[in-house]
Amino acid sequence: MKRLVLKLKEKIKNLKLKKLIKKRKLKSKKLLFKEEQFPQQIKMEETKYYTPSVPTYYPKVEELPLGYGEDRLVLQTRDPWWIHAYWEITPKTYEKLKTELKEDFLKAKKVLRVYDVTNIIFDGTNANSFFDIEINDYANNWYIDTKGAGRSWCVDLGLRLPNRFITILRSNVVSTPLDGPSWITDEEWMVPEEIFARLYGMGLGLGLSSPVGKEWHKEIKERLFQPLASGAVASWVSPVKKIEKERKFWLVVNTELIVYGATEPDATVYVQGRQVPLRPDGTFSLRFALPDGVQVIPVKGISKDKLEERTITPVVSKETR
Amino acid sequence: MYKGYLCLILHGHLPFVRHPEFDYFLEENWLYEAITETYIPLILMMERLLDEKIEFKLTMSLTPPLICMLKDQLLQNRYLRHINKLIELCHREIERTRWQPHFQKLALMYLDRFLLAKDTFIRFNNDLVSAFAKIQDTGSLEIIASCATHGYLPLMEITTTSARAQVKVGVSVYEETFGKKPKGFWLPECGYQPGQDYILKECGIKYFFTEIHGILHGNPRPKYGIYAPVYCKSGVACFGRDWESAKQVWSSIEGYPGDYWYREFYRDIGYDLDFDYIKPYIHPDGIRINTGIKYYRITGSEDKQVYEPERARERAAEHAGNFMFNRERQIEYLYDVLKRKPIVVAPYDAELFGHWWFEGVMWLDFLIRKIRYDQKIFKLITASEYLQEYPRNQVITPSLSSWGWKGYNEMWLQGANDWIYPHLHKASERMAELVKLYPNENDGIRKRALNQALRELLLAQSSDWAFILATGTHTSYAIRRIKEHILRFTTLYEQIKSNSIDVEWLEDIESKDNIFANIDYRLYQ
Repeated sequence: MKRLVLKLKEKIKNLKLKKLIKKRKLKSKKLLFKEEQFPQQIKMEETKYYTPSVPTYYPKVEELPLGYGEDRLVLQTRDPWWIHAYWEITPKTYEKLKTELKEDFLKAKKVLRVYDVTNIIFDGTNANSFFDIEINDYANNWYIDTKGAGRSWCVDLGLRLPNRFITILRSNVVSTPLDGPSWITDEEWMVPEEIFARLYGMGLGLGLSSPVGKEWHKEIKERLFQPLASGAVASWVSPVKKIEKERKFWLVVNTELIVYGATEPDATVYVQGRQVPLRPDGTFSLRFALPDGVQVIPVKGISKDKLEERTITPVVSKETR
Repeated sequence: MYKGYLCLILHGHLPFVRHPEFDYFLEENWLYEAITETYIPLILMMERLLDEKIEFKLTMSLTPPLICMLKDQLLQNRYLRHINKLIELCHREIERTRWQPHFQKLALMYLDRFLLAKDTFIRFNNDLVSAFAKIQDTGSLEIIASCATHGYLPLMEITTTSARAQVKVGVSVYEETFGKKPKGFWLPECGYQPGQDYILKECGIKYFFTEIHGILHGNPRPKYGIYAPVYCKSGVACFGRDWESAKQVWSSIEGYPGDYWYREFYRDIGYDLDFDYIKPYIHPDGIRINTGIKYYRITGSEDKQVYEPERARERAAEHAGNFMFNRERQIEYLYDVLKRKPIVVAPYDAELFGHWWFEGVMWLDFLIRKIRYDQKIFKLITASEYLQEYPRNQVITPSLSSWGWKGYNEMWLQGANDWIYPHLHKASERMAELVKLYPNENDGIRKRALNQALRELLLAQSSDWAFILATGTHTSYAIRRIKEHILRFTTLYEQIKSNSIDVEWLEDIESKDNIFANIDYRLYQ
């Protein structure tokens, strides 16, 4: 008895769910969760793996095999609405089908049959519903728009003839998450709709001004799924608001000054009063960033026995026009 | 009376990059830069706070690849070589900028920082993990575990054994490193697939974190939104990330790191200075790279102005005040509505602080001090302490979610990287097959080969490679790594099965991919 009630409850939930899904379908806008919301976070993560250009010193790595010689079809969830399928069909399987179907083989359309298997144990015949996607002969993977969130899916790769469908491969079952809050509340942890609406909006960074009332779902989402920072992706290269340049040409000029000379290897040399290290052969060179203006650069050499001293003073003036 | 809590989490992770076969390897710089700019400044910050007896609570994850690299002798020595080079460059810069005092001041600042980094590194005997462990022992820092190689678990749904191995190896590295069991777990990229909490349960994990909609879209509806943890059916607690505090840091318009007074990450002397001068400090092939010495501030226009540390410091203090103020208002409000003390969960990539956002560590330092002294609305807390105060929580099943682009799996499953999954799944299957064939291998060589096979599989599974492929720039290294590990795995698989293990080759790859010295292939079950 208890089980029956539970089942009934499940069914009601399902019905509600279906209705809601239908409602959502009517809304033309796809709900894209935080698309382009935090490009900075991605950008920052990217800087962890910073490399300047394609380095050339790697020895070549062999290629990975194109397949593993096995029939298989694998399904993965991408997000509430999309699932991804990849597959491999061996030539052997193809040959077998060809022999079996004879001329029908050429007439058959290769399709992905996408079954909605939400809340059922799928046996190949009892899907809630299904739809087909025609694919070409060269594809080995496909992104499937399921058009409904919070469901379970199974996919057959098969051949479709006017009067029948032949399954070549069957996938695993995947479930997609809901694209909004659940409609199910538990009694013990009940929360008034308005409060939840506020918490929901707050959690998503909409502040305390979250809308309340019947329309909150819709309103919050409309605000939520608008990109937080429009044009954010354009600032991909810099954390600053990008200032659009009209043209790309640019020129940078800097000047540096090299002061170099030579003396006895055991002498001491000062440039602008600071001692300079000498190379073993007595030569030295210094490099300065040269700003506009006049630089007076006294270079003083003192012999090891401190009896002799010379000073040469270049004066450099720089002006940028 | 305090009305609630803020839980700050820093997620420390870098992929395993170690190439003994080359004398210099560019991508190893990821580690060296993070050591100088993030890990050491964080350690020093926490040491200062402890010294001054300023109460704080922080949570950090250190992923196994990061731990293994920080403990690796070759990389430790190479870090010293790296920092010595930088110090040498700083000396030359101080000389070169003699007539430009604004720049010279910065060159001196960098010299101080690099010298301090080197001293700190040596002070901990080149082992920074021991520094974090020491701070954890004071009770102010809680280090949590993470997956073996930052594998993205939701895309291991069809190879559950791999997901389990990622968690189990991660936990075993934690235990080996810190001598105790981890309480919390960082799901790489906050990637949660319903049901995978059972794996965490099996490993004794008490809590983990998800992205906001992991909880908000959970079933049944979470009564307290993301401001209280929930229990999964397995009994493991789940805390949801708060977006409001995330937005203040990450938003490209309002986010703090974009402030015009902050240092510009993308202007580096490795690109700006004359080639002949900078050549000894960039890539040996003459490819210009970032050196870490950056003289400009963000400015807000293309005409970048010189960085002014004092102004940037003031801004960091202001931003810390602003962040605190917003949390006060938020927590006050939540306390009124929820009738219980809310927890606001704010996780960030650790490498954000100091590396990309140069002033980030300073900001954190200000924030912690201000929270302690300038207000009485909320306190810092760790997730495990919150669970002690509020052990009774709602049971829900969180939704599939991640903190990546668009909030689900798309960052790691799209046109640019979906080709890797057939290979990863096949290798996972083969690994399971090997463990079944040799459930208790005692033969030295075969056992080593089995262990190495698991290492190669785990390394191929790093979410980092798929991420780099998705960003579409400079993908060659990531492609190479995936191929290399899959190929090495396949060769091992074939050699083990045909009983023809090439010992010399095995030794070679053992010495290259030497992550997880004590791995046990039997964890793959």
